[in-house]
Amino acid sequence: MHTVVVTAVSCLVAAVALVALAGQAVRGDRTVGAQLSAHAVHDASVDDAFYRCIDVQAHSLVTPGRTVALSTDNLADLVTMVKGFGSWVTVADPASRADISLTLRDDVPGPGACLGTQVVATSVGPDGRTTVRVGTGAQVAGQGPPPAPPL
Amino acid sequence: MTTVLATLAAIAALSAAGSLPVAAAVGPRWFAVPTAPLTGAVLAAVAATASLTFGGALLTWFVGLAVVAALVVVTVWVLEPARGPWARPSTRGARRLTRSRKAGVVGFLAVVVSCGWSLRGLRSPTVGFDARALWVMRPGWFLQTHAQLLIDMKTRGLVLTQSAYPPLVSASAAVAWRITGVHTARLGVTTIAVLNACALSAAALALVELGRGVAARTGPDPLPGFPPPGDPVPGDPAAGGRPPWAPMVTGVVAAVLLVFVASGVTEPFLTNGYADPIWSLAAVGAVAFGLQARSGRSTRAAAAVMILVAGLSKNEGTVTAVALVALVGARSVGWAGLREGRRRWGPPVALAACELAVLAWWPLLMKAIGSRGASSSFTASTDVASRTSAVVHGMSPYLHVLVVALPLSVLGGLVLRAVRRRGGVGNDLWAWLALAVGLVAVGGALVTGSGAIGPWIRSTVHRITEYPILQGWWIIAVWAVVASSGVRGGPGGPAEHLPADRHAHQDGGPDGAAVPGPPVGASR
Repeated sequence: MHTVVVTAVSCLVAAVALVALAGQAVRGDRTVGAQLSAHAVHDASVDDAFYRCIDVQAHSLVTPGRTVALSTDNLADLVTMVKGFGSWVTVADPASRADISLTLRDDVPGPGACLGTQVVATSVGPDGRTTVRVGTGAQVAGQGPPPAPPL
Repeated sequence: MTTVLATLAAIAALSAAGSLPVAAAVGPRWFAVPTAPLTGAVLAAVAATASLTFGGALLTWFVGLAVVAALVVVTVWVLEPARGPWARPSTRGARRLTRSRKAGVVGFLAVVVSCGWSLRGLRSPTVGFDARALWVMRPGWFLQTHAQLLIDMKTRGLVLTQSAYPPLVSASAAVAWRITGVHTARLGVTTIAVLNACALSAAALALVELGRGVAARTGPDPLPGFPPPGDPVPGDPAAGGRPPWAPMVTGVVAAVLLVFVASGVTEPFLTNGYADPIWSLAAVGAVAFGLQARSGRSTRAAAAVMILVAGLSKNEGTVTAVALVALVGARSVGWAGLREGRRRWGPPVALAACELAVLAWWPLLMKAIGSRGASSSFTASTDVASRTSAVVHGMSPYLHVLVVALPLSVLGGLVLRAVRRRGGVGNDLWAWLALAVGLVAVGGALVTGSGAIGPWIRSTVHRITEYPILQGWWIIAVWAVVASSGVRGGPGGPAEHLPADRHAHQDGGPDGAAVPGPPVGASR
């Protein structure tokens, strides 16, 4: 009798478990497939192009060995700068000692901007004159911000 | 160099660093293949920590650690040839291994192919928000000078408090960047995605091994006392009768299904550079090898690697990994071990102490240097009850797997307990304990954190519940394998005919102390 019960329960447990796994596996595979939808790929491409653009612009403004301060006036812009070129810039500490201060200028119309955003460098020369330069070398047409990727 | 080639080169480098330690500790098992790059990633994380602690370039530390580990392994092999790769296992009963070997090969190939298919999301050039802001940005910091790295970690001007998160993901990407010269977020994402797949395939291969082990022990003519002393050749009943197909096939099928389930649970983060999948998948692997598979040298080593991967990847993983160290240690020692003295409990305790030391190094270092985000964010808020309620309500919709897993576990525990024991599968109470620990770790951080709970939950709940969800599905898959061996009636079927002492000897659950012995795992 016990053998029959064990066999019956084994069949039940195995069947329920495998059916549940199979059902969820199908759902899971669809989730993976959704990453390849035209919409998802387009958004990812725009996001990628935006950050590559501001990276190139930052490279045009910061020569090797120069220390940088990232403007903290706008938290969103600070995060964007960190995401775009935070991995390679030489951050100064304290920020007041930086050779260059980098900020983002948003809502810039026309060419020369990355979805309407430009990287701007401000530096003070030995003569005390302040120089403001705008990043060059890349642009992405349109107005930002780029599509938000999943958090 | 294209991203594909650079990714292959990075994984090859990580695998090369981890291959000898894994060959020595895990042995010639299928799950050693994905464990090797993960071990290399652990070495990269330790190298990053050492680089930040003592100075010196990350790659110098990485290569140095890999060379030292390899020298230790070669020395051990020279001094103790019996532990070397040339010491071949007994071929006793080899002809009867055909079925088990076939299952091992088929299982490995099936898991690899399904993992590869699940990585097709990489065809989309997605880089996640946190990935770009932290996980594949910080590698650049690890490649800067020591003085600059300290500034990057400490200066308040950079605001991001997540900089203090454990280093494994970023360190692996940094090794990839340094070796290939390709410094792109994309390479970081692809390298992390492949490491995710390695953790996933290791956990899935544990199911394949479980199926083979259950088949070996529940065959028509199992040998009392199986497995024989020493790490056995899996499926080596050393007696007449071939292992039954059902548990082996179920193990392979469940492993493949688990890969697809896990891919769905972890996407899009599986392929966009986040650290949540790797710690979650590695924690599941740690439970699989450390708390469910039969305790042995290979499985303990694999569990140790998985624990370190989980604990060095993200804060939630660190908390969970510390708890897993305690659980695996408790299972390895058991009540019997406590009575038998230091010789019995010494090695597991020493291993646990080493794991804890490695896990603690990074967070202690963050405190010591005053890194951003290293200070406690615990709140003195009095609304703990409302935060707890928000956490419970926020997480609940994502934990529906428990509605299936819990009844299956109860039913299986009540009726199929003897079958499970006979198959040499650890008590799933261990797995439930590990699941609870993971939930408490994440839930506790949310409840005691200082961030606004509503937005925090909404923006992270689908990621931070990955581990308990995956653990729930793993428990279901294990019961599928166990139940498949109880389907047959007659000799070799349901286990109520087995001597009670043998059941106790093979159990590894909280209700019976684990007995040291060889793993179920299979050689190739």
